[in-house]
Amino acid sequence: MKKYIIQRILLMLLTMFVIMTLCFILIKMLPLPAVREMGRDINLVYAKREQMGYNRPLLVQYVLFLKAVFTRWDWGVGEQMYQALSVTEVMAQKLPYTILVNLYSILIAIPLGLLLGIYAALRKNKWQDHLISTLVMVFISVPSYVYAFLVQYIFCFRLGWFSLTLESLDSAPLFSFRMFRSMMPAIISLGFGVVASLARYTRAELSEVLTGDYMLLARTKGLTRAQAIRRHALRNAMVVILPMIIGEFIGIVGGSMIIENIFAIPGVGNLYVAAINVRDYNFFMALTCFYTFISLASGIVIDISYGLIDPRIRMGSRK
Amino acid sequence: MRIRKMASFAVAAAMMIGSTSAVFASDFTPAETYDTGERAYTGQPVTTAKVGDGSGETISTDEYAGVEGKDYTDEGYYTYNDFLPKITGLNWDPLSWKTTDDGNVASMIDIGFYEFVPNPTLDGYSVVPEMAAALPVDVTDSYVGSYGVEEGDTSKAYRIALNPDACWENGEKITADDYVYSMQQQLNPKMMNRRADSFYSGNFNIVNAKNYLYAGQLQYSLITDTAGAEVEAGNTVYIDMWGFWGMEGMTDADGNECPQYVACDDDTMYRDLNVGDSAADEAWVSGAYLYNTYFAPGCPYEDYGTQYCYTAAMGEEVSWDDVGLVKIDDYTIDLIFVDSIPQPAFNLPYSMSGMTWLVYQPLYESCKTFYDANGNEVDSEDEAATVTTNYCTSLDTSIGYGPYKMTYYELDKQITYERNDNWYGYSDGRHLGQYQADRIVWQAIEEHATALMSFLSGEIDEVSLQADDMDSYASSDYIVYEPQDYTTKISFNTDYEKLLEHGTNSQVVVIDEFREAFAFALDRQTFATAYTSAGTAGYGMLNTMYVYDPFSGAAYRDSEAAKIALLNTYGVSYGEGTDYATVDEAYDAMTGYDMDKAHELMAVAYDKAVAAGIYDGESPITIDFRVYQSDDIYVQMFNYLNTQLQEACVGSGFEGKVSLTMTVDADYYNTMYSGGADMIFTTWGGAAFAPFQILAQVYCDASDGSGNQMEVGFDTSAVELTMNVDGTDITDTLQNWAFWANLQDVPTLDEKLGKFSDYDSATQCAFYANAEACYLHYYVTTPLYYRNVASLYSQKINYVTNTYIQQVGFGGVRHMTFNYTDDEWAGYTAANTLQY
Repeated sequence: MKKYIIQRILLMLLTMFVIMTLCFILIKMLPLPAVREMGRDINLVYAKREQMGYNRPLLVQYVLFLKAVFTRWDWGVGEQMYQALSVTEVMAQKLPYTILVNLYSILIAIPLGLLLGIYAALRKNKWQDHLISTLVMVFISVPSYVYAFLVQYIFCFRLGWFSLTLESLDSAPLFSFRMFRSMMPAIISLGFGVVASLARYTRAELSEVLTGDYMLLARTKGLTRAQAIRRHALRNAMVVILPMIIGEFIGIVGGSMIIENIFAIPGVGNLYVAAINVRDYNFFMALTCFYTFISLASGIVIDISYGLIDPRIRMGSRK
Repeated sequence: MRIRKMASFAVAAAMMIGSTSAVFASDFTPAETYDTGERAYTGQPVTTAKVGDGSGETISTDEYAGVEGKDYTDEGYYTYNDFLPKITGLNWDPLSWKTTDDGNVASMIDIGFYEFVPNPTLDGYSVVPEMAAALPVDVTDSYVGSYGVEEGDTSKAYRIALNPDACWENGEKITADDYVYSMQQQLNPKMMNRRADSFYSGNFNIVNAKNYLYAGQLQYSLITDTAGAEVEAGNTVYIDMWGFWGMEGMTDADGNECPQYVACDDDTMYRDLNVGDSAADEAWVSGAYLYNTYFAPGCPYEDYGTQYCYTAAMGEEVSWDDVGLVKIDDYTIDLIFVDSIPQPAFNLPYSMSGMTWLVYQPLYESCKTFYDANGNEVDSEDEAATVTTNYCTSLDTSIGYGPYKMTYYELDKQITYERNDNWYGYSDGRHLGQYQADRIVWQAIEEHATALMSFLSGEIDEVSLQADDMDSYASSDYIVYEPQDYTTKISFNTDYEKLLEHGTNSQVVVIDEFREAFAFALDRQTFATAYTSAGTAGYGMLNTMYVYDPFSGAAYRDSEAAKIALLNTYGVSYGEGTDYATVDEAYDAMTGYDMDKAHELMAVAYDKAVAAGIYDGESPITIDFRVYQSDDIYVQMFNYLNTQLQEACVGSGFEGKVSLTMTVDADYYNTMYSGGADMIFTTWGGAAFAPFQILAQVYCDASDGSGNQMEVGFDTSAVELTMNVDGTDITDTLQNWAFWANLQDVPTLDEKLGKFSDYDSATQCAFYANAEACYLHYYVTTPLYYRNVASLYSQKINYVTNTYIQQVGFGGVRHMTFNYTDDEWAGYTAANTLQY
């Protein structure tokens, strides 16, 4: 297992390097937007780009980029957006909001989704199952920003239970009840989708497992229905469900552009798209590397998790 | 039922295939080129008058007194809550700020040498000194013989008495040394700060400011003779590859980017991606090729060398002592300019309002990072090739000297300002009746619905409205309308070869009558009312915000010449034998909407298109309309334009064959520049006191390579404009007329008419109106609406006026008064539902 993990990590680093190189070359092949400002000396902007080394040969730029990252952990400063601000500092300031909102959301949504899925599976084809399945379909089909507007209008504007927008750190510390409360509308809006998809998967997997021969065998061995479900059915269903849950946790760094806009959350939701749109090389590279790393690492974690959930699954075995 | 559905699906599919094949499988091949014919336009006669000596030009310094007790002496605590749609990475460094929001932050914590304030009758602006102690004094005489000032020169050197009470928010005094240090940083060649050009461009051109900035760097200067003569004299001529040939972003065979200036003997070939076939003529061009083909003696552009050809020289080291900023004593500085300042009584305070160039030396130095030529960080500025700074990008790196100081900054979330007790204005007795707000909070709220709900909940004190909101709030007592100096238009691509490459038959838009028909098919008033919150029908490139006489506030659009220009464009007659006796009557009745005329023009366009062999007369025509986004309003606008275009085609051969398609393209401006779009929305503005510069800078490809013209394919250097000036016909290209109005050197016009600046405002209006009418005459751009913003303000506050004042707006925070303290407002909003 250890050997397998080391192999995977090495492979991940190699993949990371290849992606990083490709992205660097590809983004640099896109020219920076032309400067069009009425009556201004555009040469100042081009001179600044010259100073930032954008006119050097690509290979030289890449070597300087790697050198700065690996010797000083310097990912550069923004040029097209967040002018003169350190890329890492901007991400460090924005990421906690995204992580917190998403984390709270899935921490609440996962138990709910699992419970609803289990309940629907156990009441399969009864009215409770139909009700849950219908709601699940609604919440999966309707985009989250639709709930977000409804949640904001009803709970924040009409009922006044929550603030319309997220509190600033000036009025509430990040880890405070007041901040948590102001995050609630976003948490609820994001949670609907997670609850629905988890409930659907859990119901489907558990329904299939419950009809398995080994469940019949377990009952005939004298286990109660609850014992059989807990010890055999749920554990088997989790082989599929748990990686999905891990995926949700990993997805928390991605953020949701629309939800963040609606509730004025200063997260990273639209950072990546904006970096591509305005062609900010440094932000694009830092975010690409960050998300690539998260994505590759999550692949390893999910693969390893299979073995932990089901001892029969062994990674790296030659047999 | 299922069979019927399948049958209808099959029919629809067959129709789609049929229509597609009509486009792509037709035997018809459009002509390779299209000749627009000679483009010549005759403007209205101009009777000239020369400018006076400027002695009557004074600006009011009388200020609105304010409401007694409603100011900083009020003991209640008042917070003004505002919002920004985005606080994305602001940079309010006075030396390098970039966006309007950046500038707004700087102007909150800084203040200008002079400020524009409401006059006592609240119907215009006055100027008051702030960081200066008095209005500028002309001291040109005392500099004769130095800094390039010659005997007889006027308005070239001004003395600014500094406010001796001004200090930084930490209490340190601000002296002339601070201004000198800050200007040295502004013009620091190792920093290349973005705002440096504010001190060497336009009217505000400080002696040697540019030379100091570009010392040791190659500087390019436009040639004054033909390129051939320069080469003959042994000089190397450089071709502006970007400005002349649109080569920005293009590369050579090895992937090296095409520089802006390439020597006329340089054979390096760069691929022009605007030419689709790489083997075609001029798919690859070099500096040598362009010189030998276009600028060399006997070539077609020989006379245009003064616009596209440069000589280069290494910028010499300039001593700071030679820069036209001189410290006289601790509280006096002199500014010496390269050229005389026109209308200095207005232009100097105008250029020196809002903020100064001050930075706080200890903090500015601590924010610097130094790099050598290889990009390695080094310890000092002396060793460095490049210096960067993060001054004024966070609370820790920020300091100001205005009425407020920043006390909280959270990236993309919130900025809080509180009263700066060290500001001189709270103790000098000159600001009574002003600055009642103790605290100002800006929140970042991007979503309009969220902002509106926040406003209705009393959390923010102002919100701009969208078209959909007007049904609910148009008649509110709390609505204000802010006119803007932007005009939204439709711009067409008329580059035939480019359009042909699109393969959608959109090349028909090169027919002048086609575009003209479209223009007459648009009911601008309906459009503005339905799809904008407060926009008004737009007919000209400039609206009534453009002031040509800053002393009287006279607007270009209200001048008779400008009105006649539009009446001619939209075919409205006036005078004896017409429906309208006067220009004003005709102008007031003008709508620009005439569907019958559109039908006639479209029929002519069809015949022309078929006769010219650019259209087979049968195939569908799809015109690609690129837009920035596809929200509901954009879709509604698109649907309207599509409907009107199709309606215009009724009765002509185009009927049922023409349609628009909407393509979302975040980079649609650049797509248009490269000829990739058929038509787009364009909006230019932002220079309300420089109306005569607009045509040159954004409608004619500029010789400096900035190339802002969106109407791709419309070559203003190939359009002849004739004006009868004092009885003599004078003909030149539209481009030259525009450059001349932009105060550029245009030898052909300078010779006949002298300088544009020699003429009085009314004459300038007449010249410019002819140029504007000429541009509109070809319908490569069709104005749609003048932008205005409708906003609601809170019951908590009062503006000093609800009628917009040029340069002053509604008085801003300076003159805002409050009806509730913070505690009272909290209680009021908790107990009441706010009604607007």
